[in-house]
Amino acid sequence: MTSPQRYSKGLENLCIEDGDVDPINIISGQESNMFDEAIGHIEDVLMDPKFQDLQKSFLEKYWNEFEDSEENKLVYMEIFKEYTDVVEKFIENHLILSMKDFCMESFTSQLQERKDELEGEVFEILFTFTDFLVFKEMFLDYKAVKEGRVEDLGLNIHVTSV
Amino acid sequence: MGLLTVLKKLKQKEKEMRILMLGLDNAGKTTILKRFNGEDIDTISPTLGFNIITLEHRGFKLNVWDVGGQKSLRSYWRNYFECTDGLIWVVDSADKRRLLDCKKELHQLLDEERLAGATLLVFANKQDLAGALSFEEIRDVLDLTSIKTHHWQIVGCSAVTGSHLLEGIDWLIDDISARIFSLD
Ligand SMILES: Nc1nc2c(ncn2[C@@H]2O[C@H](COP(=O)(O)OP(=O)(O)O)[C@@H](O)[C@H]2O)c(=O)[nH]1
Ligand SMILES: [Mg+2]
Repeated sequence: MTSPQRYSKGLENLCIEDGDVDPINIISGQESNMFDEAIGHIEDVLMDPKFQDLQKSFLEKYWNEFEDSEENKLVYMEIFKEYTDVVEKFIENHLILSMKDFCMESFTSQLQERKDELEGEVFEILFTFTDFLVFKEMFLDYKAVKEGRVEDLGLNIHVTSV
Repeated sequence: MGLLTVLKKLKQKEKEMRILMLGLDNAGKTTILKRFNGEDIDTISPTLGFNIITLEHRGFKLNVWDVGGQKSLRSYWRNYFECTDGLIWVVDSADKRRLLDCKKELHQLLDEERLAGATLLVFANKQDLAGALSFEEIRDVLDLTSIKTHHWQIVGCSAVTGSHLLEGIDWLIDDISARIFSLD
């Protein structure tokens, strides 16, 4: 992890001698492991049947509010807020339970540092949780199934791509 | 800030902007929105909820949110503040009776922390009406020159004739993109 060039521009004056360990790199190495581990756990959450149950009971609770009209009701936005809170809490709780020393604040600041590398299916799915139009579509699909207009597709279309 | 809010902010790409359109009811917000979207503007009824459209313009993708402005709905505006790059405040320039109310609501919004980074475009709408105040008069009544916290601009326009709407949007895009680029 240490790159010798990092010391070549004046930093050698700062008491770093041969054999000394670079504390900065140790920390960032740990952080990077933690980061990857956290992503792995989020992947598990998305596949967890309990998570799908949670989504389903959320849909069950509110699908009646939704209508397939162009103008959105104000209540959709309140439901959307509640949804993102519930999803967020579920993921966070899972991370706290499965990783000792997990800290959401440092995790989100690492996300910010790595904002250009947030690719792959896990992030695709996480991004959809933040998208109101995806959320509305999910409810309209569920409603169509509930009203018997569409066959039941398993009702977890939005998580099956993991 | 929670995980999903952080991700939402990170996802927003350079060429994508979130625009929140507010103002008193009957100002012409929905008409402006439909006009941009090339839809019929003769059948618009008062907005009780909100509309969203996505516009492509000059290579930018604008997600424009139009939320109802009746007094009873204004307390819901706060649910739409997050991640706003640009605020469009629409004024009925002929509705002199309500300009003070309009001024009060606008200045309240500018105090909102979650709108702190947003660029402000004021549309002095309905310039086609004979009784409309000019955009300079609207600027003075709304006391825009006292605003030091936000980049702002006022444009006199008409949603019915379409005049000067694009001019306003172009300024908004320029200001937001200059801000976003200078951050990076
Ligand atoms: N003359 C004129 N009427 C307008 C203009 N823009 C909107 N209106 C009318 O004002 C009324 C309210 O418009 P609307 O878009 O529903 O306002 P909102 O409540 O702000 O969304 C409608 O009757 C529109 O036709 C304009 O530029 N000129
Ligand atoms: Mg409206």
